[in-house]
Amino acid sequence: MPSPRFPIPQGTLDMLILQILSLEPAHGYGIAQRLEQISRSVVQVNQGSLYPALHRLQQKGWLRAEWKQSETGREAKFYSLTHAGRRQLAVEKNSWARLSGAVKLIFEEGSR
Amino acid sequence: MIPLLNWFRRRSLERGLDRELQYHFDRRVADLSASGIPEAEARRRVAAEIGLAQVREEVRDVWLTRWFRDFLYDLRFSARSFLRSPGFTAVTLLSLALGIGATTAIYSLVDQVILHALPIKDPASFVLVDWEGDHVVGGFGSWNLMSYPICRDLQQQTRFFDGVLCRAEIDVNLAAGGDPKPVAAEIVSGSYFSVLGVGPALGRVIEEPDDAAPGAGPVVVLSYSFWQAQFGGALDVIGRKVLINNHPMTVVGVAAAGFGGVDVGAVPALWLPASMYAEALPGAEDLLNSPSRWMQILARLRPDLSTEQAQAGLLPWFRPWLEENARRPGFPVMDADTRRHYLASSLSLTPAPQGHSPLRRSLSEPLWVLFAATGVLLGLACLNVAGLFLARGSARGREIGTRLALGASRGRIGRQLLTDSLLLAVAGGVLGAALAPLAIRGLIAFLPLDLATTALRSSLSFRLLSFAFFASVAAGLLSGLAPAFHTRGDSVVSSLRERAGTGFGGVRLRKCIVTLQVAFSLILVIGAALFVRTLSSLLAKGPGFDTTSLVSFSLEPLKNGYSAADSNRLIERIHEAIRALPVTRDSGLARNELLTGGSWRNGVTILTDRRFTTDRGVDLNAVSPGFFATLNVRLLAGRDFDQHDSPPNGGPDPLCAIVNEAFVKRYLNGRDPLGVRIGVGSGPNVKPDIPIVGVVTDFNYRGLRAQTEQAFFLISDKNEDFGASFYVKLRGTPEQSFQAIRNVVRNVDPQLPILGLHTVEEQVSRSLNTERMLAALSGSFGVLALLLSLIGLYGVMSFVVTRRTREIGIRLALGATGASAIRLVLRDAVVMIAAGIAIALPCVAALGKLVQSQLFGVTATDSATVAAAALVLAAGALVAAFIPACRASNVNPTDALRLE
Repeated sequence: MPSPRFPIPQGTLDMLILQILSLEPAHGYGIAQRLEQISRSVVQVNQGSLYPALHRLQQKGWLRAEWKQSETGREAKFYSLTHAGRRQLAVEKNSWARLSGAVKLIFEEGSR
Repeated sequence: MIPLLNWFRRRSLERGLDRELQYHFDRRVADLSASGIPEAEARRRVAAEIGLAQVREEVRDVWLTRWFRDFLYDLRFSARSFLRSPGFTAVTLLSLALGIGATTAIYSLVDQVILHALPIKDPASFVLVDWEGDHVVGGFGSWNLMSYPICRDLQQQTRFFDGVLCRAEIDVNLAAGGDPKPVAAEIVSGSYFSVLGVGPALGRVIEEPDDAAPGAGPVVVLSYSFWQAQFGGALDVIGRKVLINNHPMTVVGVAAAGFGGVDVGAVPALWLPASMYAEALPGAEDLLNSPSRWMQILARLRPDLSTEQAQAGLLPWFRPWLEENARRPGFPVMDADTRRHYLASSLSLTPAPQGHSPLRRSLSEPLWVLFAATGVLLGLACLNVAGLFLARGSARGREIGTRLALGASRGRIGRQLLTDSLLLAVAGGVLGAALAPLAIRGLIAFLPLDLATTALRSSLSFRLLSFAFFASVAAGLLSGLAPAFHTRGDSVVSSLRERAGTGFGGVRLRKCIVTLQVAFSLILVIGAALFVRTLSSLLAKGPGFDTTSLVSFSLEPLKNGYSAADSNRLIERIHEAIRALPVTRDSGLARNELLTGGSWRNGVTILTDRRFTTDRGVDLNAVSPGFFATLNVRLLAGRDFDQHDSPPNGGPDPLCAIVNEAFVKRYLNGRDPLGVRIGVGSGPNVKPDIPIVGVVTDFNYRGLRAQTEQAFFLISDKNEDFGASFYVKLRGTPEQSFQAIRNVVRNVDPQLPILGLHTVEEQVSRSLNTERMLAALSGSFGVLALLLSLIGLYGVMSFVVTRRTREIGIRLALGATGASAIRLVLRDAVVMIAAGIAIALPCVAALGKLVQSQLFGVTATDSATVAAAALVLAAGALVAAFIPACRASNVNPTDALRLE
């Protein structure tokens, strides 16, 4: 049975995380929920793969993390974007736009 | 870098991750429960959704990076498996530690003596300026001797040099308040410090004005370490008046810390300007203007020039200079032939970033030989470890096969095996580096004492540690590569199918390794035998005179302010007092001390029925009557000197001479030597008018190896040098008489330092330092190598026997005798030993040329030595192979067949 939701393309998860965090700081579970909402019924994100990605981005210096009280009153690890992260997001958005534009062009060419 | 940091804080990282995941888990479960799913079901579903174990692993991979984590796992795995087999670990660790420790220790000396550049500004641009061709002029000092005027003139050649300096190594008597003491000094041109780029730690260094005119700079610059040791680092040392050879001079500064002159073998206590040559070298001629050679010249080459370019560029200037030099007062008269040779001379420039060092000259060859030997030893240790690894590898064959079958890549498993050997090698390296300072101290003990205390360090430097590290890593790679590659060849199926008693995995490789080991160790054993024979034949030969109860010491009254005539009178008085001592049996004087490596050397003109000059330098000495009797040197013909031979005041030079057997044999063969006339020097103006009155047997003058032609004159105030060495034959043990001798000198002049009061046997043994070092070290390397290769052979033979237990059992069951089983196993060993010897012999022949100059009384390919060494090795190896062979013959057929 083909899945109604296709798996997230390689490499785009990082960009989505950066995009979500560019709005406001969030903890892992919050990001997972946001991803669910944004991509509901379109993209499938493995909950588990979120954490390695977060730690990788943090190690690259694009995210910073601190323990803060969450909305339930429990301490949670909140991630936020650093300056480098913001720059990186811009770069990725730009290259994504160019890539998808190019792909679209090719498809239109083919259908003509 | 980050992975390493993360590794150190991995505990706190783990805690953070746990909390983070726990939060996610709890929130998710709470959300699902809220939507009506029962809590137990929710927990199950969330756990499956996240895959906690998987996430943790992936995050750890992020923290430490993949390869680093793999490496850590391998390391942990290796360490555990090593701890499980402590015997194996101890043997491999020890052999690696010995190999690395020995190599590091020898390298430390190689580095300090040969390789280390001077601690000066841009040492790479330094060149040694030397004479190529016939100097004609005589000199004094060690090597590469040049005159002071040529240094002055070279300083004008700014097209080629950014500065030229000259220096000589001398001994002076220094009195700073107390009694004068002999210290090592360097007498230098005014340019010395500025060209080297060495500044003062205190006060100032020697500068050009100090060296502007004779006597212009009565100043002294102290070396930092001497200042610390003798003056306690006192700041008020500047301006202090001291006496150098009884002449007042002023301390003007202390040189920068860590600077010890341009010769690693001779660290001066102080520096004097060349302008003070008359005070520093009492009795010398006008050294600033004479063509006499006594200094080494070092120059800083201009950066845009190569040595060849500068050499060629100097020629047009040097030609006329040679003509001019020959007109200097004191230049010897030349005949046409000599003149042609002289004018064909040129200057040669050789890179000298390490400065000038006679020590390097004498030690570099033995040190390289030893370094090569330790390299071979380390190679042997690596081979041993490789062999042991292969053995372990085949014991682990099934484990590795299982891992391969489960999907491990061959590269991954090879990496694991390499990690094994690297871990072991680095551990061995740490152990070796810990042992190295001890070993270096032991090594330095073999070297001349003055050198050991001043010039060489036994501490570990950064360079040394990095050397040890690279040696260990190389050893690890070397010993791990064979087993790692070996696994590549194995097929999964065969290694899984393999059972004890079938398959021969790795045996062929191990046999090759053992064969190589036999070859390596035979090379080292032969080397050891050669050096031991060299030492023993030198010791057996002795110096050619009787050293029992003979002591010697030297006096240099000129350095305490005596005039030449006073000095001779003083020495005569002391000699009489020594002769009067009850412990003295006999005594004699010589101008030059024996067995110090140096001599007074000159060409000699001989007049028989024709006039001719010697074709090489003759070693000359001036001795007192009774000198030969004191040394028990036999008179072969004629007579000894007596008091009537001393020329009257203002009279002619020496009245008569005594020559040795070698002199007669070389120059007067078949002719009665008595009455033949000789003269010192080889120029046309030399008058051969000294009759030979006696011939003595040969004995060693410069050193134990040198058999030279010698000529002796009567010691008198006519000789050029005015010090004297006393040789005293004593009754009873020499050490007890030392005090009596000291008292005699002190009674005559309490301020006169006594130089080197020791037994002549001690002197002989000291002159054999290098030979003893080579023999002792190569001997111990040989024994170690033998041991390592025997262990290797024993290991592989036991392995073969274990592998073939079944086969041997069947043979025995079918009626083979125990003896035939032994033969079967030994045949293998004999092949390996024979192949090893066959590999080693041509290598020995090739390497022999390199060590020949270090040998004495034996050639490098001496058949008796080689045969004996091969025999020792073969016998030892057969014993090592016999033990497992015996075990094979005792195999119980029933047990062997049941073995599965």
